[in-house]
Amino acid sequence: MQASRARLFKEYKEVQREKAADPDIQLACDDSNIFKWTALIKGPSETPFEGGVFQLAFSVPEQYPLQPPQVRFLTKIFHPNVHFKTGEICLDILKNAWSPAWTLQSVCRAIIALMAHPEPDSPLNCDSGNLLRSGDIRGYQSMARMYTRLAAMSKKG
Amino acid sequence: MVTDSMTNASIPMAVKDFAKKKRANRSAKLKQCKLDARREQWLSQVKNKGCKEETVHERDGSDRSMENLEIKPRGKTNEGSIHHHFSDLDSPSNSPSSVSGSNLSGTNFTGSSGSSSSSSSGGSCSGSITGEDEEGGLDDWEAVADALAADDDKQEQEQHNPSLEPLVENESIGPLDSPNLAPEIEEVSEAKPEHVEKAKRVPPNCRAWKPDDAFRPQSLPNLSKQLSFPMNSGRRYGCGGGAWGCKSVISAPSSCPICCEDLDITDSSFQPCLCGFRLCLFCHKRILEDDGRCPGCRKQYDYEPIKGEATLDGGSVKFRLARSCSMITRS
Repeated sequence: MQASRARLFKEYKEVQREKAADPDIQLACDDSNIFKWTALIKGPSETPFEGGVFQLAFSVPEQYPLQPPQVRFLTKIFHPNVHFKTGEICLDILKNAWSPAWTLQSVCRAIIALMAHPEPDSPLNCDSGNLLRSGDIRGYQSMARMYTRLAAMSKKG
Repeated sequence: MVTDSMTNASIPMAVKDFAKKKRANRSAKLKQCKLDARREQWLSQVKNKGCKEETVHERDGSDRSMENLEIKPRGKTNEGSIHHHFSDLDSPSNSPSSVSGSNLSGTNFTGSSGSSSSSSSGGSCSGSITGEDEEGGLDDWEAVADALAADDDKQEQEQHNPSLEPLVENESIGPLDSPNLAPEIEEVSEAKPEHVEKAKRVPPNCRAWKPDDAFRPQSLPNLSKQLSFPMNSGRRYGCGGGAWGCKSVISAPSSCPICCEDLDITDSSFQPCLCGFRLCLFCHKRILEDDGRCPGCRKQYDYEPIKGEATLDGGSVKFRLARSCSMITRS
């Protein structure tokens, strides 16, 4: 408990200090609960998610950093490894490949990398996965781009 | 008591002259040999202090040697034969005139020392004490006394009993050298006060060898070659480990990357994984209880970490390092 709090506090200070270091990630801590974080990440370029801003919700367990944080998309996204309804993310580093050396910031980077490189063989979104596995790259990209516009871009865009 | 040794040696006054002539030739070699032996003992005792792990083991050895030194004299002659230990080491070089003596007397010590051929062992001492021949023996004697005093100072802290005895009894070897029994007894009584005085005078100096002592530099390289000196390798490793430890301490992170607590000295010297990822012992324990994988490389902590000795060694390694450094600056 105390260790996780100290660790999160340090991460918070780190985020404040290096806000400009990674313009694709905006990590913010809940005002009243240091175990609740939200993040805004920009969709990587040359992907169907380009131009979108996706919101992530972090729920940090008390055993953190020994246990990984629970992360899910608050913004709807069409991606084979993200559950379309719940926003749950299938990412190894959030499960068995977690390392206490990782930080919330590095988790955000990993999620951005996952957006650019989907893993259709372990899909949470079967429709998306099937499109990719069948080789319909154009179909996948158009679906993903559509949902990015619908959910991850400001209305006027 | 001493008469035994004298008769055994069966060396009349003439031998003394003979030895005197020879002394000039051999004294340098003998003294060096002597110094080597003394220094060896001294260093091994230093090592006793330095290396905690081996302290018990080593001290047993040193205790035994001390016992030898103490008991033998009591059993056979009086204090004189204390030097047995050293004269053994010296005996090869002493041999020319002491061969017969050592053959005669089972202890070989009494013979050799009585024959005054042991000018190396006692000769220089007697030189300064009896005043028969000065010939720079004083330097040598003081150097030895320095070494012994430094020795004994340390030893006193650990073992009170034998601490001063070798010092006091050693000096009675000088008297033994002189072939005449009567003067010897007088000198024993004389020499003791004198030696005590010297011992008192010595500590401020606190140096085993004077910087300009001609014999010391030659004796240093010999030490590494002496097989009977097992601590050399140990010391080398110790120094290496010390340097390595210091370096790693410097490059270590100041706080644990997992819990962000500051790393103390124990944590800083804690190397749980070959990948070099460092963390505090507390987090390491928690990880071991959890999934037991290194946060840096995600491999299992399946082997015994290098922690125990590293932390324990810290102090002693530093001590040894400091000592060797100081010796280097001395030379």
